[in-house]
Amino acid sequence: MPLVQPRPTRRGALGGAAALALASCGGGDPPPVEGPRAGSGAGLLSSIVALENAAVAAWAAIGEALAGEARRQAGAIRERELIHVERVGELVRRLGGEPPEGRSAEEYARMFPRLSGEETALRFAGDLEEQLVRAYLDALRSLPDEEQRRVAAEIAAEEAEDLAVVHVLAGDQAAPSPFVTGTQ
Amino acid sequence: MTRRDAESPTPPDALRPTRRDAARPTRRDAARPTRRDALRPTRRELVAGTAVVAALALAPAAAAADPADLERLERLLALEQRLEAAYQAALDRDAIDRGLGEMLLAHEREHVRALEQVLAALGRRAPQAGVRAPGIGMALASRGAFARFAHELEREAVAAYTDALATLRRDGLLQPLGSIMAAAAQHQVALRQSVGQALLRGVA
Repeated sequence: MPLVQPRPTRRGALGGAAALALASCGGGDPPPVEGPRAGSGAGLLSSIVALENAAVAAWAAIGEALAGEARRQAGAIRERELIHVERVGELVRRLGGEPPEGRSAEEYARMFPRLSGEETALRFAGDLEEQLVRAYLDALRSLPDEEQRRVAAEIAAEEAEDLAVVHVLAGDQAAPSPFVTGTQ
Repeated sequence: MTRRDAESPTPPDALRPTRRDAARPTRRDAARPTRRDALRPTRRELVAGTAVVAALALAPAAAAADPADLERLERLLALEQRLEAAYQAALDRDAIDRGLGEMLLAHEREHVRALEQVLAALGRRAPQAGVRAPGIGMALASRGAFARFAHELEREAVAAYTDALATLRRDGLLQPLGSIMAAAAQHQVALRQSVGQALLRGVA
C-alpha cells in the first residue's frame, strides 16, 4: 500500500503553532524576580508575541510554496507580521517584561504541516490569519490598558486585511462576511 | 508576570485547536459564482453574524450605559449609515461593480442593524441617517473615484472603531464591534482590488 501524505489539517496546523507558542513563552526558566506586575497584560501580550513569531516563520514557509504574485504578497504579509512582533513586544517591554524570542526556522518547520503546493499553503495561511484575528479580538477583553487595546485593535484590522488578501489569492471574495470574528 | 504566568502561561483561545479537522475546499475550481451566490451568506456566516448581533444586543443589559460610550456608539452608527448610503448611491449611478456594491451594501446594512439594536437596548433611540458624506457627488463620477472615496470612508470607520475599542467601558461590546471593524478593513482590500490597486497599502 503506497504511503500517502496526510492532508494538512487545521488542528495539525494550529496544534503545531500552539505548541510552538507555548514553548516560546518561557518553559522551565525560573520566574523573574522583578518584572511586570500581575494583571498588567504582560502575560497575554507575551503569548501574542509568541504567536506572531510563529506567524512570521509560517509566512516564510507559505511563501516558499507559492509563486509569482502570491509569493510576493506572502513576503509583504510576513513583513507586516514582523512589525506586529515589534509593536506588541514594545508593549511588553514597557511593562518591564521581555518578549519571547522566536525559534529557529528549522524548529518551526518541524511543527508546521507539509505544504505540498499553492492550495495547501493558502489554506494554512487562511487558518493562520483567522487565528491571528481571533487572538487580537479576544485580547481586547483582557488587556487592562487603553494603549494596549488600541494597538490590539489596530493590528486586528491589519490581520483582517491580510486575511482578505489570502481570500483573493485563493480566488475568493476579499470580504465575504459582514462580521469577521476569526472563527470561520 | 507572576510565577504561574512564567511556568504555564494561558494561551489565548486562538491557540487552542478547534474541532474542525477537515480541510476546507476552496471555491477556486468551482464555476464562477453568480451575483446571487455572492450575496447569499454561507451557513457559517449566518451563524457568526447572528452570534455577533445577539452579543451586541445582549451586552448592554448588564449595566447602565455610560454617556461617553453612547456617544461613541452613535458616532459608529452614523459612519455606518454614511457607508450604507454611499454604496446605495454608487449602485444607483453604476459607480461600482454591481456584485461588489451589493455585497458591501448588504454588509453595511448588517452593521447598521446591529448598532441600532445595541442603542435600542441601551434605551437610546438610534439617530436617523444624516446628510450624505461630503464629496460624494464628485465621487460618483467614475468607479475609480468612488472606490477611492469609499476606501476613505472605510478607513475612517476603522479608525473610529479602533478608538472606540480602546476606550469603551463595556467589555461585552468589544469583540462584536471588533468584528465589524475587521470587516471594514477587508472592505478596503476589496475596494483596492476593484480598481487594480495594490491589495495592501504600502506594497507596490
